[in-house]
Amino acid sequence: MARPVVELEGCTKDFGGVRAVDALDLAIFEGEFLSLLGPSGCGKTTTLNLIAGFVEPTAGRILIDGEDVTSRSAHLRGLGVVFQSYALFPHLSVFENVAFGLRERRVPAAEIRRRVGDALELVRLDRLGRQRPAELSGGMQQRVALARALVYRPRVVLLDEPLAALDKKLREGMREELRAIQRSVGITTVFVTHDQAEALGLSDRIAVMSHGRIEQLGAPREIYERPASRFVADFIGASTVLRGRALGRDLVALAPGLTIRVAAGEALRVGEEVEIAIRPERVRLASGPGEGAAEARVEGLIYQGSMTEVTARLADGQRVLVFVTEPAPMPLAPGQLVHLQLPPDAFMVLA
Amino acid sequence: MKLLLAPAVVVLAVFAAALGALFRWSLLEFIPGSLRPGGLTLANFRSVLAPQYLDTVGETVLLSAATTVLTLVLSYPIAYALARTPSRRARSALLVLTLAPFFTGAIVRTYAWVLVLGNAVVTWPVPMLFTERGVLVGLVHFSMPSMILVLAAALSHIDPAYERAAASLGAPPARVFWRVTLPLSMPGIISGGLIVFAWTLSAFATPELLGGGKVKMIANVVKDLGLDSFNWPGAAAFAMLALALTLALLVGLGRLTAGRAA
Amino acid sequence: MILRLIVLALAAFLTVPTAIVIAVSFNPGAILSFPPAGFSLRWYVNVLTYPQFQRAALNSVLVTAWAVALALPIGTLAALALERARLRGRNLWAAALLSPLVVPGVAAGLGFLILAASLGLLRSRSVLIAAHVALVLPFVVRSVWVSVRNLDPALERAAASLGATPWRTFRRVTLPLLRPGLFAGALFAVVVSVNEFVVSLFISNRVTEILPVAMFSYVVNYTDPTIAALSTLFILATFLVVWAADRYLGLGRVFLQH
Repeated sequence: MARPVVELEGCTKDFGGVRAVDALDLAIFEGEFLSLLGPSGCGKTTTLNLIAGFVEPTAGRILIDGEDVTSRSAHLRGLGVVFQSYALFPHLSVFENVAFGLRERRVPAAEIRRRVGDALELVRLDRLGRQRPAELSGGMQQRVALARALVYRPRVVLLDEPLAALDKKLREGMREELRAIQRSVGITTVFVTHDQAEALGLSDRIAVMSHGRIEQLGAPREIYERPASRFVADFIGASTVLRGRALGRDLVALAPGLTIRVAAGEALRVGEEVEIAIRPERVRLASGPGEGAAEARVEGLIYQGSMTEVTARLADGQRVLVFVTEPAPMPLAPGQLVHLQLPPDAFMVLA
Repeated sequence: MKLLLAPAVVVLAVFAAALGALFRWSLLEFIPGSLRPGGLTLANFRSVLAPQYLDTVGETVLLSAATTVLTLVLSYPIAYALARTPSRRARSALLVLTLAPFFTGAIVRTYAWVLVLGNAVVTWPVPMLFTERGVLVGLVHFSMPSMILVLAAALSHIDPAYERAAASLGAPPARVFWRVTLPLSMPGIISGGLIVFAWTLSAFATPELLGGGKVKMIANVVKDLGLDSFNWPGAAAFAMLALALTLALLVGLGRLTAGRAA
Repeated sequence: MILRLIVLALAAFLTVPTAIVIAVSFNPGAILSFPPAGFSLRWYVNVLTYPQFQRAALNSVLVTAWAVALALPIGTLAALALERARLRGRNLWAAALLSPLVVPGVAAGLGFLILAASLGLLRSRSVLIAAHVALVLPFVVRSVWVSVRNLDPALERAAASLGATPWRTFRRVTLPLLRPGLFAGALFAVVVSVNEFVVSLFISNRVTEILPVAMFSYVVNYTDPTIAALSTLFILATFLVVWAADRYLGLGRVFLQH
């Protein structure tokens, strides 16, 4: 197994009385696109700042290529950073902005010109070298910031919510570009975001964070289909979480008479209280009562265009969220009795 | 609503009248021994060009320039600390330290330097009191609070993300300052510099007390002519000169800041 | 680290002279010496009993009180007009209102002297007060204008919709909300007026002179530590005022952006 490019060992960061990062262990491997995903305040930006060297950890170590860089200043770490506000130097032209890191490395002028040209071509801004950042649109500024961080071929590039300031359409377009650039250059990337769709779409691995800790680390599919905790299940996509008691290795009783078959892969311990979750797009509306269908009454309907969000209440009072994309077998209205088909293999057992 | 300006206009009119009187008398002939002036003449302004007075003007400009440069260099670190220090208590302390001299008045501040420079405290290797050196020290000390405030305001408007970006690109702290912080604080440097220069041109109390009659700036000449020789026309001419210089500088400042804001 | 040392050194440069003045003020002997040879309050007694200082102090209180009392309402009205009235060339008006700040003290002083003489008002305090009002007004306008700018017009419209007359709205809504600006303006006005020296030097005589002018006359003629004692009193008063202003008004917010 190759040595990770970046390692955080037991990193803790306290700000005054607040613990932003709590004994974090993380290994980032060569060429991978890793996202730090979580709500605001979860510690993802602080983690990024720790790697970049903008803040020093209260405890723990940071290693780059096996070397302990914990006490090394930011300007000696050889990383690339793209800031949320882009932080393009307003008094320098686009060319000079991108050339900044090369000038600090005493690269000869002719080579600077060549490499800056290549970098700007990579982000498709090759004819804007003379302009000032203030004259460019948000999307263009973002690309200049990327070019500036990549041009000197850093070991790792760190991106702090770089797409947050862009509007929806632009953001989606930039996502594609970003991934394409990252793949073509092959650079190890750490990407901070609070947008789960972004993280799911771009990453090789996602670290879902909460309260300074990593709740789950894994590939997007794993995070989505097998959330390790209630937090992850709630944060990633929507889900219904149901509480009940295990009757058998694959049976959960929500209430007397209301039993659900669950095929989560792991056998349940009989008598134990369990939390099971199911994604709303996996719940189907059956045409009538039958095997595996649970009765429920419609409570709320929200039309969303491509689907309708339906909230239905089960006999034991627990609510189920359903995304209805196909025409329903009966007209949907509040109070309507429906039969929910809950496929056993769609369930996730939460720790 | 516009009428609300009326009382202020009255006050300004009085002020304008005073300046008008000044202007008028600068063009009237001085009759020695009398407070009554003669007819219209340019003699007062011509006397400004007389060698000893021209020397004074030249000296004033030189001292002001030296003061401005020194004040800038000494104020920058404090302004930087004021703008960037995370500790609220340190910032409060620096602010009080910077602002307090503002509020203690010219005489108190200048007197302090009379004491310090006068060998009562330390014996200086070279004479300081009643020399240009001493006046320079006093002027710099006097100008620092204004310069610190202007610079600190300019610096605090610079997003710290720029400095972080420069560091992430490999620039050590000195280079970050040279390539990013300093250029971005240039507007503050220029306005602060012009303000200090303009003020110092008309400085009175500092050269009067620390110069002891041996160092004269334009304002001191105005007082000598006006209050000691009762040569009001002559004093008025010099006062007009000081006013003109100040206005010219501030118009220049206005042009520069307007140009940048556009 | 180096920055911290430099800042400390410069802070010392800013404050050491003041410290020395304070130390000298307690010097028992008339010859200025440092470190002081003992401890004595005689110079403070001298300050408090010197008739010219007593008269000058009274004059200062009188002039400053009048100047601030006049400048506050005039400046407030002007600030309101600047912000609310549809003025063509508002920037020019603002510049005009702030212009006394820019005029050299000797020019204003001599000008007022000549004006007073032409009007036969040489011995009157009114010219002195008028000059102080003019010099202090820019500070009041500037401070109050900031407050006016932060005043949400919707609040006054709300008051009107609730049935308040313009005067009642002004008294119950506008004026209280302008309080920070008024306070700061008054503070600046007092400090500037109390310390005003150059202009006052030109237009006052022994009878009407204010404290800084009296101090100046003393320093030019005598070299004992009396002025050190008076300066110390000044410094003490100032520090208290500035500290209180920072604590209650947050001066940092006025000057810096965070």
